[in-house]
Amino acid sequence: MSQPALTITAPGQAAGRRRRLLEIAGAAAIAATYVFLVLTQPADIANGPASFSALVALGGFLLGAVLLIVAVLPALPTSTVVLIPVALVLNVVLGQLMGSTGLPFYIDAIGTVLIAVLAGPAAGAATGALSSIVWSFFNPTVLPFAAGAALIGFLAGMAARGGLFRRFYLAPVAGFVTGILAGVVSAPIAAFVFGGTSGLGTGAIVSAFRAMGDTLLAAITKQALISDPMDKAIVFTIAALLAYALPRRTTFQFPFVRRYRVLAGKAPAAPDA
Amino acid sequence: MTPRLHPFTTLTLAACAAGVTTAAAYWPLSVAVALAAVALAARRGVAGRVLTAGAVILTPLCLSLLVLHGLFFPEGQTVLAQWGPARVTAEGLGFALELGTRTTACVLVFLLFSFTVSVPDLVSALAGRRIPPQFGFVLASTLTLLPAVAGRLDRIRQAQETRGMVVGRGLLSRLGALRLQMVPLVLALIDDAGSRAQALDARGFGSPGPRTSYREVADPPAQRLFRAAVLVLAAAAVARRIVASWPAGVPS
Amino acid sequence: MTATTRTALQIRIEAFTFHGEDTPVLTDTALSVTPGSLTAVLGGSGSGKSTLGKLLAGWLRAGHAGQFRGSLELGGTVLEFRGVPDDPRINPAEWSRRVAFVPQDAAAMLSSVRATVAEELAFGLENRATAREDMLRAVERTAARTGLSRLLDRDPATLSGGELRRLAVGCAVITEPDVLILDEPLASLDAAGAAQVEDLVRSLRGTGTGVVLLSQAADRFAGEATHWTILDAQTALDGGTVTAAGTPAQLAGSAELERAGVIGPHGPGGIGSGAVGSAGSGVAAGGRRPGPVPAAAPGPAPASLELRGVGFGYARDPRLPGTGAQDRVLRDVDFAVRPGEIIAVTGPNGAGKSTLLRHFNGLLRPTEGDVLVCGRSIAGVPVGKVAASMGLLFQHPRDQLFERTVLREAAFGLRQLFGKAGAEARSRAALAEVGLSGTEEAHPAELSASQQRLLALATVLAREPAVLALDEPTVGLDRHGLEALQGAVGRAAARGAAVAMVTHDLEYARRNAHRVLELSGGSLRDI
Repeated sequence: MSQPALTITAPGQAAGRRRRLLEIAGAAAIAATYVFLVLTQPADIANGPASFSALVALGGFLLGAVLLIVAVLPALPTSTVVLIPVALVLNVVLGQLMGSTGLPFYIDAIGTVLIAVLAGPAAGAATGALSSIVWSFFNPTVLPFAAGAALIGFLAGMAARGGLFRRFYLAPVAGFVTGILAGVVSAPIAAFVFGGTSGLGTGAIVSAFRAMGDTLLAAITKQALISDPMDKAIVFTIAALLAYALPRRTTFQFPFVRRYRVLAGKAPAAPDA
Repeated sequence: MTPRLHPFTTLTLAACAAGVTTAAAYWPLSVAVALAAVALAARRGVAGRVLTAGAVILTPLCLSLLVLHGLFFPEGQTVLAQWGPARVTAEGLGFALELGTRTTACVLVFLLFSFTVSVPDLVSALAGRRIPPQFGFVLASTLTLLPAVAGRLDRIRQAQETRGMVVGRGLLSRLGALRLQMVPLVLALIDDAGSRAQALDARGFGSPGPRTSYREVADPPAQRLFRAAVLVLAAAAVARRIVASWPAGVPS
Repeated sequence: MTATTRTALQIRIEAFTFHGEDTPVLTDTALSVTPGSLTAVLGGSGSGKSTLGKLLAGWLRAGHAGQFRGSLELGGTVLEFRGVPDDPRINPAEWSRRVAFVPQDAAAMLSSVRATVAEELAFGLENRATAREDMLRAVERTAARTGLSRLLDRDPATLSGGELRRLAVGCAVITEPDVLILDEPLASLDAAGAAQVEDLVRSLRGTGTGVVLLSQAADRFAGEATHWTILDAQTALDGGTVTAAGTPAQLAGSAELERAGVIGPHGPGGIGSGAVGSAGSGVAAGGRRPGPVPAAAPGPAPASLELRGVGFGYARDPRLPGTGAQDRVLRDVDFAVRPGEIIAVTGPNGAGKSTLLRHFNGLLRPTEGDVLVCGRSIAGVPVGKVAASMGLLFQHPRDQLFERTVLREAAFGLRQLFGKAGAEARSRAALAEVGLSGTEEAHPAELSASQQRLLALATVLAREPAVLALDEPTVGLDRHGLEALQGAVGRAAARGAAVAMVTHDLEYARRNAHRVLELSGGSLRDI
């Protein structure tokens, strides 16, 4: 074994280009799957469930999520990788705690959004997708939603980068917009893979639209447009509250927070290295 | 003891069973797969856990499907009963049955996999296949963190009650208490993660390059062959189904 | 490796500042380590010892963790840092292979993803693509060295504190580093565990490894060192700097050592005049009191805290057969503390001290008997309500603190009791009482470990509870912290608070309590 050096040089560009290609491929797979599903959705589902659409939805979205993970994960610094299990656990535990207050929301992305705010869009997307995959160990029904979770993490990171977490009232707005996009993207999964939603409350809303004669995809998309933006607005608000409750030494250890001045407050004393 | 199956063998079997069931969308097959999963779980002694976890996930989903499609299915022709806007149709009930059994089968098959696989073996096998080591880390670390966090939350609650926090019945009081519990939990978890990252970097986790594995997971050639065969068969079955149900209007 | 007097590792710090902070945590500090030496870095809580250790070992890296001006030298390679972006970047994997660090919290060393002790030891070798046969040999050799040979198949999560620390040291030395840095290696170890770690360090030094010991106690182990460096912070929120360096003989008993808050060779029990003495309870201040302390001020007043015939057993695992008396943690315990009285309960680990303490405010409810606070039974009263007259201080302050600033923390919940102005006045007074004036606007998590415990104490004192219960009050406190604690507790008792403490430190208990009780076999007796 040759003697490795005590110092390292800045990471090269060649590997970066390959990763960027994988990222684009992953995002393209997700977008193409969605467009394809909407264009070819079976007009008549009376003859049985649309197994073709289900397979395309599962395959396309999972492929996209896996490509994103493969592209992002090896490039993440260890300090971000160790946060992904933390985010996952927070998604589950804080979701349960919020559930105990009796509010009619599922609030299952607090950890993902918090990590996205601290470590950026790439980390947020990887966290969202990975947490779906790992959580499917206990609840396999979340696996198909990996792409939607990745989108939430990515958008939260972009919102943080754009300074939307510097003003307190902007965080719920960013959450609202994220909820619209994520809800629309996830609707085909709920419609074609599961044929409905997993909660009785959301099921009732879908039923109402179905009673008015909507197709299943349209009814579930409309339901998602009602529940998801509100849910994500709450999640973004809680994540912002938590980010501001953390001490500066903790938040400023993240280069993303320092570089894009994600959180309000005076700029760090030390120049960024 | 029966010879151990390599984690990838059981994973391949679970994924193929779920894939074929989804593609087939034929409720007798779904029921058969679900029953087979329960029987295997019983043989491995995890039937109780698989069924409990499955029930928690599937009960609300199946009830929701039944209400949704049982009462509101505009595409249905054969009306069995009608109250105002709600119409019970044979097609709607059939649709709910198809989707309910299909999801049940897939969930039970994957739960059987996750409750029987040895996580250390799985992580070691993943590391040996050029899958980023970060993936195995996230999986295993989550499984270690979950019970630890439950214990920590309990300690935080005790400490805060000791400081005079009384949780009332009102929503605002509970939300306030929740905020106070979340802050120390998140802070401790992020701080611990920070020092774990330093330790992992110091132990070479962050550096690129090849790795070796201390743990050895036996992967006999017979199992490799079996996995390949199962994958080919499942892919063929799914492909046939896709060709058969290629939607009209999409050029093939 | 040739053991010469050549320097193995050297650091010179002009200043190191964490990102997002204005004041450096370390200034004007230098340290050099020679092969086979033992260097002790002594300083109180918050003096920057751990930061120094992590900088030496590449755990904290220039630019990555903060701004570093100074230089590092390892085996002839000199790295200069000026706090600019094109400073050299340390390769943590290679640097830490040669300079290993074991953190104070040994669990932080573990990967948390390996199922057995053997695999955990091998983790660092796996990441460096060591061949499997070499790994097997290295694991066997390191396990023998650290006394882990019989534990190789155990799950790391099931190890005891001492075993965990030896595993952390094993993970550090398996790559055969030139320098090993140990942060408070003996903290929370019993005598046998401490002896094993000390033996290990001696054998490592014998093979030429330079060892750096970071400690807030100038104890017997630190006395073996070839060189002492004393770190001290100028004010409560300032960074640390070297105030003295030399041989143990030159520095033992020096003013710098005392000012830095380092605990002396006699442990926490040897500090100050003792709370009983300073509270003016009639015992002569200073010196070691022989024999039992006469019961002080409290006369026939009714007890503030009383346990009557309390029995308790944890719910047994129903699958286990047998119903033995060993399941009872507490049996028929009678216990009373009167206003102004300080009572200490001691006993070995696992005797049920913490269980007893948790009965005082209802965190645990007795299966038999009754607990009375201020003459009223607390059966059925929520813990949060009992807290009005019962202040309990836990071992780990982090779980107890949750506000954004120190002042808000101390004022938490006071407003309903005393009004806005009263709440602020009381919380400021309580902070002054424990010596935390001047830190009001800091984030509680940015205080040192010792200060965090004092803050938790202040939050309790601000409510002026009738009973003060302390769980292992000496753990984690430096000399200044111990003195502040003793003063505050003594004054609270003088004002009429009843104090009950639980501690494993018999010497400390004897010097600071009117009565010392021992908990063994589930019951209490005077000693």
